[in-house]
Order: sequence, then C-alpha cells, then structure tokens
Amino acid sequence: MAAAPPISIPDAPDLGRMRRERLDRLRALLAAQGIDTLVLLGNTHVVYATGAIWPLADAGRANFEQPVAVVLADDEWPHLFSHARDEVDLPVDHLHPPVHLDFDEGVAAFVAQLRDLVPDGAVLAVDEWTHAMSREPWLRFADKPKDAGRLIAMAKAVKTPDELSCLRAGLRITEQAIAEVQARVAPGVRQSDLTATFLRTIFDAGADANILDPIWQVMPARMADGPWTTTGDLAVPLLTTERELAVGDVLWVDTGISHLGFHSDFGRTWIVGQEPDARQRDQFERWRSIIGAVLDVTRAGATAADLTAAAIRAADGVVPWMPHFYLGHGLGIDSAEAPFVGSDLGEAFDASLVLAAGMVLVLEPIVWDDGAAGYRSEEVLLITEDGWEPMTDYPYDPF
Amino acid sequence: MAVTEILPDDEALRRDRRARVLDELEAAGVDVLVAGREANARYVSGAPRLWMAGSRPFGLGCVLVRATGAIHLLSTWDEGIPEEIPHERLYGISFNSKSFLTVLQGVEGAATAKVVATDGLATGAVSLLGVAFPEAEVVDGTRLLDRARRVKAPDEVEAIRASVAVAERALVATEAALAPGVTERQLTGVFMEAMAADGVTTPAAQDVAWRTSAARPWHRAGRDAPIEDGDLVAFEAGVVRGGYIGELGRTLVVGADRTRSSALFDRAAGLRARLLDACTADAPASALLDAYAAAGEPPPPVPVARGLGLGYDLPLVTAALPQTAAEQRLEVGMVLVLTTHVWEEGVGSVLDHEPVVITRTGPELLRSTAP
Repeated sequence: MAAAPPISIPDAPDLGRMRRERLDRLRALLAAQGIDTLVLLGNTHVVYATGAIWPLADAGRANFEQPVAVVLADDEWPHLFSHARDEVDLPVDHLHPPVHLDFDEGVAAFVAQLRDLVPDGAVLAVDEWTHAMSREPWLRFADKPKDAGRLIAMAKAVKTPDELSCLRAGLRITEQAIAEVQARVAPGVRQSDLTATFLRTIFDAGADANILDPIWQVMPARMADGPWTTTGDLAVPLLTTERELAVGDVLWVDTGISHLGFHSDFGRTWIVGQEPDARQRDQFERWRSIIGAVLDVTRAGATAADLTAAAIRAADGVVPWMPHFYLGHGLGIDSAEAPFVGSDLGEAFDASLVLAAGMVLVLEPIVWDDGAAGYRSEEVLLITEDGWEPMTDYPYDPF
Repeated sequence: MAVTEILPDDEALRRDRRARVLDELEAAGVDVLVAGREANARYVSGAPRLWMAGSRPFGLGCVLVRATGAIHLLSTWDEGIPEEIPHERLYGISFNSKSFLTVLQGVEGAATAKVVATDGLATGAVSLLGVAFPEAEVVDGTRLLDRARRVKAPDEVEAIRASVAVAERALVATEAALAPGVTERQLTGVFMEAMAADGVTTPAAQDVAWRTSAARPWHRAGRDAPIEDGDLVAFEAGVVRGGYIGELGRTLVVGADRTRSSALFDRAAGLRARLLDACTADAPASALLDAYAAAGEPPPPVPVARGLGLGYDLPLVTAALPQTAAEQRLEVGMVLVLTTHVWEEGVGSVLDHEPVVITRTGPELLRSTAP
C-alpha cells in the first residue's frame, strides 16, 4: 500500500486565510442557490463560518450558551452573537452579545438586530431552529425554511490546505496523549484511569476540548456474550466505567478531541498485559490486507462502492465493518461527517458517491472471529488526485 | 462505590420523572412527544448514552406515547436500557431517514395522532414527522418539558449534590496547581484528570480556568498565556455524573498580596449575599437581576442564574431576557447555579458559581465547603 507523494500541507495554518476561503465558498453557494442569508445555530457550523473557537460544553449546557452566526451574501465578514470571552478576529461591529432563541423574548431581540442587517423579504436558510423562532412571523420559519446545514456540508467536504494543517495538528495532539495512555495500560488499571491520563495530556498538548467520553471497550470473545443489538451484530462503542482491566483483555479504543475547530479521531486495538497470540496476530494481518485492498482503489474519482467492494473481496465475502456504522467516514469540523462509505444509505448511494481530492476519510474496517474477539483500527487519510496520503503515523503496537 | 457497569437510572426516579412528563402531555393534549435533546431523552427514558461535547441538531432521540406510556429509544444495544423499554422499541443508529420513518410509523397511534410535541426543529426531522404523523400538528414541547423538569425530586437533588461533590474535589486539585507560569489550558487538564481519577469521565464544561482581564470586563487574552503573580483566576468546575450536572466556581488571587483585590472580593461577597437573599420561594426570578441592580453591578453576558439537572434546566435568568425573568417564579425544589460577577479596571474579575436548592426557608448550598 504505497502512498502517493504528499501534497503541500502547511506546518502552521493561516487562520485568516482559512476563514476567507470558507466564506468565499459559502457566498458562492448562497449565490448559486438564491439565498441571501445564513442563520447558523449548530456549534460546529458557527465555528466553520466565523472561525470562533470556544471550549465546547456538554450538550445540555451548550443549549444555554449557544453562539449564533449570521452570514450575509454581500458581506465579507460573518456576524457572531456569543457569550464567549475568547478573542475572535472579527470587526467589532460584527460581534454581538449572546441571543437566546428558545425564548420568544430572545427571538424578538435577535430579529430586531437581524432587521438592521437583512432587508425584509430576504431569503433565509437555517441549520436548525426552535419553536420560538417558528412563532416569529418575520423569520417565516413556520413553513419549512431552506436548509443551511446542507449548504455547509457542501462547502466543507473538500478541505483547504490550512484546514488540513489544523486537522493534522489535532490528530498529533490526540496521538501524543494516546501514547501516554498506552504506556499506562496494565492489569488493575481502571478504564477511567486511562481517561484521566488522556484528558490531562490532550490539554497539556494544546487541545481546545475533548469531544466524546473516550472509549476503552473490553471486547467479549463471542458476540453473544455482549449486549443484545438491533442489528444482531457487535455493540460498539460501550460506555467507560471504573472497571479494572485484566490480563488478556482485548481493548477497542476510540476517541477524539477538538483543536482549532477540527475534530480528531483515533482507533486501535490493544491487548492488556500480554503479547497478542497467534490468532490475534492473524486477525491483525487480515485487517491489514483489508485496509491495503481498500487503499489500492482509493483515489479521487473512485466511488464509495469501489472501496466497499474491495473491502468485502479482501474479507472473503464478509462485510468487514459494523452494520450500524460504516467502512469509512469523513472527518473535519465534525467527528463523523460526509462522505459516509458503506453506511445504511445503501449500495446505490455508495455507487453515486465520488471521492474528491482534499476529502479526509477515516477507514475503520474490523475483523471478527466469533469466539476469539477481533481487531479494529482506524486509518485517517487524505484523498489525492492519484491516490491518498496518510494523515497520521501512530504505530499498531503491540501488533 | 466504584461504578463498573452501565446501569439505567434508578427505577423510582425513572417512574417519577416519566409520570411528570405524562401529566404534562395530558394537560397539554399532546399525543406523542419526540425528544431530541439528550437531557430530555434521558429524563424520559432513564437510559445513559454516549457523552459528546457541543450542541447537536434536533433528531429523533426518544419517543414517548401518552396513551400507553410506551418509550421508543434510539439505542443500537440494550446495555443500560431500563427493562420497561423492550428490545422491539429500541432503534439503532442510522444514516438513512427511511429507517427513522419506519420507526415513527411503528409508534402506536402514529396514523391518527393529532398533536405531536418536539423539543426542536430541523429540516430532515420535520419532514419525517409530517409523513409519519399525517394527521398531527407539530407543537412546541419545550414548555411542557420545562414544567415537568424545573422542580427537582428529592432524589434528583441528591444526585446533583453528589455531582457537585465530584466537581468540588476536582476543583480543589486544580486550585492546588495554581501558580505563576501555569496556563489556563494546563489547569483545565489538571481538572479533567482529577475528575476522571474520581471515576467521572464526563465534564459539564471545558472552560475550567479563566485568567480574568484587568483591562476588559469579559475577556480572555488566550488560554496559553502564563498566569502571573497578582492575577485573579476564575475557576468554573462542572461535571456530569449519572447524567446530572454539578457545577460550582470561585476566584483565587495568585500570590500572597490581596491588598489590590480585597475590595473587589468584598463587592463580590456583597452581591453574592444579595443573590442568595433573592432565592426565596415564590419570588419572581427577576429578583436575581434586581440584586445586581441594587448592588450597582452590571450583570455579565452569561445568565445570573440557571437551572441545574440533566442539562438545559430552567429557569434561565439573564439580563438579556428581563421580561422572561419577571414572568417566572422561584419554587421550592428548584436547583439553581447563581453567578456572581464583579469587575474592576486594573484588578480583574471575581466570578463565583454557587449551586443551591430552594427550600421553604431559603436557599440551601449544595457544596460541602464554605465559600
């Protein structure tokens, strides 16, 4: 699996250029679709449009303190309505106090400001909205408004070099922390202790936030020994507790962080307190051959169906991924974003999904031998014109 | 006691919470509730699910049918799922809206439901609701959920108190690391490590340490600037334990010299006392805004009080919503976090978050140590 020659990813991102390029894309999409204004509520959408970075909170608290972005078709700068005290590189007249869109009073105050920016009758698109917003006649959200989320998805799919630089920095922080965690894995250590080490190290290394409760799942030998599932397949990821690790535990690791507005992803399989046995090494070799087969067909212009077919062929006809997930997913401002490869959107969808240079893909096939557990790792790669290049180089130890 | 397996919320608590929601559905004439926000789904179902940071768009996280009390829950597995939610009412992670449509159409009475309430709106989900509930009007469910959730059951108060205790222990560990040269980001790492070492791996917020600005009242210079002698550093500690959020916060001076900041700490103590005095059962929530006015302190851009619970608990009392505050009453059993913020040019900010439960005799502090 030889990688293509690397494309140029700057060592340090130019955040101003990154935002300008994003807004250029957004405004081009607005013009093409006849939309005048974007109203964005989703945290990662606001990050994308404004470049604002704040430490993400629990989802419940995020609803209290939800920054809102407004992007106008004819303004080079976005407007930001936010509680955050973090420095944001926007003109002062584009920075506004927070708004509270779950409340009629909050929506009225927001609309009063919006009317100074947007003419009556302008076409608005929104990523999500509240009942209080649908009650406000001026917004005209009672009928289904235009979908800003789809527009962001289109804009963000192909990464700019600065975005790749941010993403790679986040991946490196994650892997730096994972190295500390892996050194600590031993019988008697609790899953939550691994989380303690992970969280301490990501912040020391520069992370802005953790994005999910890190997974250190002890896999059962047999699927039937795990929880019941809607798919009749594996239950992954299961939540971390204070369970102590034991010799021979097969750990499936899955975690990610947020850095400069980008999410990272990391997945590996570790064995606790002993070297992998012959069966486990064989699982790893089979996993490598599946990854190798997929990478052999991965390039700009390939379809998702090309990748899934290669994976299934290499796995001797078995579908080597979990049915509630996918063979692969995109990575960027969200930890699992389009393109989705091998999801339950189905074969026709996969056949129609064409990879483009600049997309980032996380491949996560699995090998499972019922009775002897299995192997799962994640490969983060950048799609290039004639192939792909790796975004990370974390080792597969102990395999 | 160490938690080593994933269990649903306590059965009595589940029953109590669900009964409150069903009563509100009955009173509002709602046939089906669709909850997208994790806090609402947890309140109704009692099932722990994976913690993730940041807001999520409205989706079909949990469905509650008023006529039968049946719950349909987004979960691919049954670990941690209460026994009253059978396998056939679990639906798995899917990227395909057709799967969710099938789930909704399988909800008892979907074809004839007249009123469906949701706690959010997003394009894809709204389209599905229209098809799955062809006879129904989609209405605002946030108010009825608020009515059900805003007053806490005694067991909920104890759950929040336990969560505050974890936040407090991690906060003490973080404060011990405060010294010239350390950064906000490093202090955040210390907090997170202490929290997880205590067995809780999920924070409520990740903005743990703030080197307050002597030049601008609500401003951060950067999370990597070394903290200096004389700085006022505000700590905001929050964890999610068993689903319930516990938060508290306080401000420390770096170094031994308090002369420059002691008057500001006195102002903060005076404002904090006024906020506690305002926490009287049946008082309007706007009394908390009045406390700021009476103290002559401008309110901060964040809420001066908000509910604590599973997340997004009301009331929300903020200077931006004066009318809303005036219309709400504080009630016995509400759990609030009160925010004190005072600022002085050339000195910095003193920020304090005080978790309290409102009792008949006034506010009871939920932290164990004296402020």
